[in-house]
This record gives sequence, structure tokens and C-alpha cells, in this order.
Amino acid sequence: MLKKSAANVVGLALALFFLFPTYWMITSALKPKGSTITSDYDLIPFSVTFTNFVTAWTKPGFLSSLGNSLLVTLTAVVAAIVIGITAAVAMSRFAFRGRKSFVLLMLVAQMAPFEALLIPMFLMMRDLQLYEHLSSLILVYFAVTLPFCAWTLRGFVNGIPIELEEAAMVDGCGRWGAFQKVTLPLLGPGLVATSVFAFITAWNEFLFAKVLIRSQDSETLPVWLSGFQTAFGTDWGGAMAASALFTVPALVFFLIVQRKMVAGVTAGAVKG
Amino acid sequence: MTAVKTTETAAPAGDIPPALPPAVTGGARKRRRRGGAFDRALPYLLLAPALIAILWLIGWPVVSVFVTSFRQLNLGELVRGEIVWTGFDNYVTVLQDERFWDVSVRTLVFTVSVVVASVGMGLGIALLMRVLTPWVRVALQIAMLCAWAMPILASTTVYQWMFDQNYGILNKTLVQLGFDSFAGYSWFSSGTSTLSVVGLLIVWQAIPFLAFSLYAGLVGIPRDLYEAAGIDGATGWQTFRAVTWPEIRSLLMMVTFLSTLWDFKVFAQIWVFREGGPSGESTTLPVLQYLEGIAKSHFGVAAAISVLMMVILGLITFQYLRKLLQTEEGKI
Repeated sequence: MLKKSAANVVGLALALFFLFPTYWMITSALKPKGSTITSDYDLIPFSVTFTNFVTAWTKPGFLSSLGNSLLVTLTAVVAAIVIGITAAVAMSRFAFRGRKSFVLLMLVAQMAPFEALLIPMFLMMRDLQLYEHLSSLILVYFAVTLPFCAWTLRGFVNGIPIELEEAAMVDGCGRWGAFQKVTLPLLGPGLVATSVFAFITAWNEFLFAKVLIRSQDSETLPVWLSGFQTAFGTDWGGAMAASALFTVPALVFFLIVQRKMVAGVTAGAVKG
Repeated sequence: MTAVKTTETAAPAGDIPPALPPAVTGGARKRRRRGGAFDRALPYLLLAPALIAILWLIGWPVVSVFVTSFRQLNLGELVRGEIVWTGFDNYVTVLQDERFWDVSVRTLVFTVSVVVASVGMGLGIALLMRVLTPWVRVALQIAMLCAWAMPILASTTVYQWMFDQNYGILNKTLVQLGFDSFAGYSWFSSGTSTLSVVGLLIVWQAIPFLAFSLYAGLVGIPRDLYEAAGIDGATGWQTFRAVTWPEIRSLLMMVTFLSTLWDFKVFAQIWVFREGGPSGESTTLPVLQYLEGIAKSHFGVAAAISVLMMVILGLITFQYLRKLLQTEEGKI
């Protein structure tokens, strides 16, 4: 019993360790101007205001970079998912010459160290006249997420018994009909989980966003936030509010898939 | 990318023998004869977009980085569109530069420390979660989820604020606890100290994924194995060695491998804290590549650094990668 309560104490201490930065981000953002930068010991806020959020929201560049981030991320992820599904279906539902090589190619491609391809990517985008255009980022994020999407979705498609599709085809569905009416709905949870992880990857990306985009109008949120000192000076309250706003979409998506993801991992561990 | 999930979710599917094409089974056979050529081409048509994209956007850059590393390519050559071959000159330049070796050693030490710390703590927390009271476990999981979900640039900004020299909560707390020397203490005055803060940030954000994955693996171990060990009178450590360890070993190897891939190429956090400073002391290989290639426009030299980065990463992951490809090939 003593052992168990000791474990619980350690568990709670760790929970505090993981939670503290989030707590500190939110409370700093809620503090009135002038009481963030203070020598007083202010672990617990006593007055709450939302002015920092207004400041961050109306800062030049915040809204446009938020829009750019959403545009780039969503376009890249949708493209990667659509093309990923077709590749996944081909790899898992058909027997054809070269299948094994394709599957291994996807596995290797998703482990490619993209950061090491910075220079050729930069040169390529320059040659294509896409340098400084958001479309260059869309292409890069699409390429980063595509192998992962194809590989993961292949696992999900494999998990759907092919007999279901066959039954639909016996009942008179065409191949497309069987896919659309049987496989696609069953693939739903897998699609959600895969696209969320692809979304997070693109949402976080910093190096290419910094290198390929130089004009302020086309900046994405990570790059804008990295230069927050030019925007906020030492206004840490405003910077924390901006960080909090940046976190919200990611956190929402995470909460959606969290359960699915762990369930998936568990299933793998039981059988593997 | 979160590829573990990948392999893990793919694992149950991997046990199912590769699905036969619908064409081979009964009712569909006639259909196949009718549209034979189209059906044979269909898988290739479905794969074509993905294949073209991968060859164009990953395959070509991989070729290009090798080619560029043998060229003299600075801003002048780039603007004039000149092609100047210099053989191994870029490699000689890089390898003779003492800074490159310092940076490589630093990158390796940094990667190994971060990987060992995060995987070790991830495993520890996964083991701990099994014995926690349910509400404590849920609290810990929610807290870890918050850390995991925070975008990298947001968490980097928060850490900058917490470690701020004058008004950071850490220094203020240390002063409150009686360590007066921390008033106005700068955590970024040396490379080691800067990288330690970056390392803490990365470990803090990496643990949740590791702990969740490993915990899921632990939960999957059949309970009767533990009952049997209990009946045999095994101690806690013996049970861990004989039951837990063999069951999660492969999962542990997998997440260690992925952590190595991810932590080796960290750029954003290091760059945002001090741009590789003070005086280059927190520069790692990805930062060096950026400085040479983008900041100084020495694209040829930077490409040589990129190639050497891939070589180093390949060397440290080679053993595992080979094994992984073999097992996966068997499963396909």
C-alpha cells in the first residue's frame, strides 16, 4: 500500500512537470499588462484579462500567417491523403509485379531525413520559380507526409477483410462501388488518425518554411512566432497568448485521435 | 513523422496474408476476363501519382544533393547558371575544417543523450503508469497530452520565457528557494548550457509519445504470464527481466530507432534559442548546413555537409535499419 501511494506521488509530480509549461503559457497570457514582467513571485495569477489575446490577434502578420499555415497544411495533407489512399489500395488489394518493391520504397521514403535535402529542395524550388511562393511549401509538406500516409493507410486497408468487398461485388457492385460503399466507410477512423498526424507534422514544420519563404506576407505561423521578439519586444504576455492560439488547433486534433492511436498501438503490441 | 504508429497499426494487418486480388476469386473471375488489360494496369495506375511524386520530390533531391556536393556552387555560379565541377574539393574543405568535427561530435553527444534520456524516462513512466491509481494515471496522461500537442514553436517560446534571465519563473523560483546566485542568471551563456535547455525541451516533448507507445505495449502483455511468475516466486526485477523485457524489447528498439532519426535532425529549437550560439557553441549539423548553405550561399559545401549528415545517420542506424527492412520484407 505504501509502495502504491509512493508511486502515486511520483505520478502526480510528473503530471505537474508535463503540465507546467502549458499552465505557465496560459496564466502568463491572462495576466494584465505590466504584471507579466515583474520581479514579484507570481506563480498564481490574481487578476485575469484577455487583452493579451486581443494584442496577439491584431498584431500585424498574425492573421495572415495563421491563414498561410492553414492553407499550406490543409492543402498538403488533403493531397497526401487522397494520393495516399490510392497507393494504399493498390499495395494492399492487388497482386502485381513489383508490389514488394513499392511497399519497401514507401517504408524507406517515410524515414528519409528531409532536413538533409534542404539544399537540393531550395535549388529545385528556385529553378521551378516557386521560391517565395506558398506552393513550394505545399509541395514539400506533401512530399514529407505522402509516404507516411500511404504506408499507414496500407496498414488500415489490410485490416479490412477483403471478403466484405467481395460480398459487395457478388451482390452486383462494381469494384469502385465496393470500395466506395464498403472499404471507404470502414477506413474512416484510420483516415482521421492518419490525417491528424500528417497535419501536426506540417503544422510544426519550421526549417523549410524559414528557407523557402522570405517575404512577411507569405510567412507561416512557426516562422512568424520565431520572430516574436520583433513583433512583441519583451511583451511576454502577448507572445504567450500567440503561442496559446497556435496550440489550440493542434490540441483539438490531438484530442480527436488520442484514443484511436493508443488503441492501434495496443492492437499491434498484442499480436506482434 | 510518427512512424511507430505506422508499424504498430500495420503489425496486426501484417499477420494477415497479403490480400488476393478480387479478380482471383470466384464471382469476379468473369469480370476480369472482360476488362483484362485495364485490370492488369489498374494497380499501376493507382500507384502512379504517389510514385511520380516520390521520385520527383524525394528521389530527385537525393540524387541532386550528391551531384551538388561535387560542384562549386556559390551565389555567383547560381545566378550565372554556371556548372563548375570541383571533384572532392567540397568534402576536403569540410573534412579539414576543425569546426565540422567539433559540430559532428557535439551532434552525436546531443543525440545520444536526448535519446537515452527520453526513451529511459518514457519506459520508466510506462512502467509507473501500470501501478498508478486510475485517476492519477488519467491526470498524468492528460498532462502528457498537453505537452505532446503543443506545437514546437509554441513550446520553444514558452521555454524561452520560463528560462528568461531577469523575469523567468525558473530563476525567480530558485531565488525564492534560497539560491540567490540565480538572480539574473543567464542559461544561454555557454553552448553546453544552451543545449541542455534545448535537450530538456526536446525530452519533455518526446516522452509522451514514448510513454504512451510503451505503455500500450505493456498493457498488451498477457496477465497470466505475470501470474505464473508470481506463483514461481519471482521478485519484481526477475519478473521484469523474464516477462516484461522480452515482450517489449522489439517495440523499445523501434522507438529508440525513431527517436534517433528525429533527434539527430533537430533544427527549430536550437535555431530559435540562440541561432547556434553563443559563438557557435550550440551549433549542430543541421544548423551548420543551414549556416553554410542558406546564410552564406555556399550550396556546394552545404550539400557536402548534407551528404555527410546522411552518412553519419546511416552509420548509427544501419544495424537496425537492415533488420527492420528484413522483417518488413518477410511480412509483405
